[in-house]
Amino acid sequence: MSRVRLIARDELRLMARNRVAVIAFVLLVLLTLVAVASSWAHQRTSADLRARHAAAAEEAFDAQPDRHPHRVVHYGHFIFRPLGPLAAFDPGVDSFTGNSMFLEGHRQNTANFGDVRQSSLLVRFGQLTPAFVLQVVAPLLLVFLGYGALARESERGTLRLLMLGGASRGQVVRGKLLALGAVAVLAGLPAMIGFALIAGQPGALALPMLTIATGYLAYLALWVVLVLAVSALVRRSRDALLALVALWAITVVLLPRIVPDMAGAAVPLQNRLQTDVAIGRDLRQMGDSHNPGDPHFAEFKQSVLDRYGVSRVEDLPVNYKGVMALEGERMTSELFDRYAGASYAAQERQNDLVRTAGILSPAIAIRDLSMAAAGTDFAGHRRFLEQAEAYRYTLVQRLNRLQAEGVAYADDVAVDPGADRRKRVDAGNWDAMPDFRFDAPDGDTLVRAAMPGLLIVAGWLGVAALLLAFATRRLGDRR
Amino acid sequence: MTEPAAPILIENLQLAYGANRVLDGMSLSVPAGSITALLGGNGAGKSSTLAALLGFVRAESGTIAVNGIDPGARPDVARRQIAYLPENVALYEHLTAVENAQYLLALSGERHGRDAVGDALAAAGLQESAWDQRLGGFSKGMRQKVAIAVALLRRVPVLLLDEPTSGLDPRATADFNLLVGAVRARGAAVLMVTHDLLSAADVADRIAFLEAGRVAHDVAASGPDRFDVRALHARFQTGGRQVAA
Repeated sequence: MSRVRLIARDELRLMARNRVAVIAFVLLVLLTLVAVASSWAHQRTSADLRARHAAAAEEAFDAQPDRHPHRVVHYGHFIFRPLGPLAAFDPGVDSFTGNSMFLEGHRQNTANFGDVRQSSLLVRFGQLTPAFVLQVVAPLLLVFLGYGALARESERGTLRLLMLGGASRGQVVRGKLLALGAVAVLAGLPAMIGFALIAGQPGALALPMLTIATGYLAYLALWVVLVLAVSALVRRSRDALLALVALWAITVVLLPRIVPDMAGAAVPLQNRLQTDVAIGRDLRQMGDSHNPGDPHFAEFKQSVLDRYGVSRVEDLPVNYKGVMALEGERMTSELFDRYAGASYAAQERQNDLVRTAGILSPAIAIRDLSMAAAGTDFAGHRRFLEQAEAYRYTLVQRLNRLQAEGVAYADDVAVDPGADRRKRVDAGNWDAMPDFRFDAPDGDTLVRAAMPGLLIVAGWLGVAALLLAFATRRLGDRR
Repeated sequence: MTEPAAPILIENLQLAYGANRVLDGMSLSVPAGSITALLGGNGAGKSSTLAALLGFVRAESGTIAVNGIDPGARPDVARRQIAYLPENVALYEHLTAVENAQYLLALSGERHGRDAVGDALAAAGLQESAWDQRLGGFSKGMRQKVAIAVALLRRVPVLLLDEPTSGLDPRATADFNLLVGAVRARGAAVLMVTHDLLSAADVADRIAFLEAGRVAHDVAASGPDRFDVRALHARFQTGGRQVAA
């Protein structure tokens, strides 16, 4: 057996004979298994629930009786974002932003504004997921199992014993790397079981899965190398433990918590109330499509009359109320899109700041990588919101067009007892409306989004490796 | 016929830690099958000599060779020629006596079964009941016996001992000297750094006195030219200045 393997075997034997180490390792494995099982069950339940609710909402929409199209505009429609299989591994912002949305005319609902501002701030502690265990708990286990690997040998004089046996500094360090690396692999194994479960699911994308696996491998390797570098640089195990716990607390706990707050302070977002007030103000300035006497819409009315060469709306070949609804929806949607765009841009700036802070914290970088590849990051949420809005706009405008073309203006303004009946269009129109289908991103898109995080983790690993190489050269020197 | 080079060879060695010059032209040769005791006052450079032989420090100039290998240039290779018994024996507390021995021997590329290790531990004077106990509860003497067993099992041409009898009672010291004698009989070159002149006189073939960074006196401790131990002892206590007189 080579010296490297002998040293690794002895390090593992030391861990195996340390009751605290064994208990800690078993706890981590159990924790990961529980996280895998609970996330898996949650994802399945949630996906089934959403699919059922989506089907029920579509059925309810299609089952509406003969109605005036504008009533259908206000009846609205619930849509649901289906969860990708990788959400079981890393649900990302999904739990906070939600996946259902109520679509109706004249407004973009909820998630676009208020609560979603938290998307860059909410991904902190709290969720027991395989990703959380690997990002936060596994490094701590590696710290506790490895802090003394080299410092202890220096402190107790056994390092010289190894070197007297003919082992070089490099062999000693490689032996310790092998041992701690084996622990890291074992610690990550239960999460890989979860991965194997996910891989069997329809919609599981190979490239993002490979990216996530590579990212976590690099992240755990980084901690292995960091732990050994610090253990080699200091003379006493106690100092190594203190330094490593401090490093873990700062990079894994503190920075991922305070950096989003700092980003929030640097790029403030309006809250929902502020946004609603601002939109209301702009709407008043813009005019009211429901008010035929509104100055803006009076001008619009004239332009429609001119276009058709008539002088009265009653003479138009289309229902003017429907035409007005089309215009009103176009205008309000533009306004809402402007606010949504500003909000997205601000959130992107916040996320860019957080992402940049990944240079200081590999935990932030791996979190970004993991969510991006799983499609559960802010970009994934935004993708849903934008598709939902596009669907809403198309649906509402189809209904408005139905009003313009399917309901006579005279009937629409009539108030006689039979008028209500005449305003209605056939129920078959609802069924003809297209259903919402979320267009999930392809694997390449997800992998591209995950690349910055992977590069930062790889950069950290490179720097840590250089530090370890430097520490290895000094190992055993008289200080 | 040329005489084979001594397994321990030091010629005109210069060594300093910063401004502190420790060895200043030191020369020493320990032939195969012999024991040399290296004596000297505190800070005379005894431990630095061992550190240089082990490749833990590099000399500024001069020649140093362990079985023909320069430990400064090729420390890993040189160390494989050496069995070393430090003053404060460091061993692995999570391992038993047998496991310690087997692990350290395996690192040196030597495989020894439990019987061979047991024989060596017995020869070193460790009770059989302690062989399979972890070293956590071992006394200094017991740890030293484990280290001695490892040194005995390593069939290497050079044995370096740093204050080996420090902390041992007279009987254990005598037993230890017998073991060192057995290693010498096997053909190894033994260099023993010690303050214990009487013990050195009992076991060593030659005694070298280190003074001001060089060997000031090198006298025979056995054979017809053997120096008078009592006189040596008396003069060593005065700092060795009159030894050659």
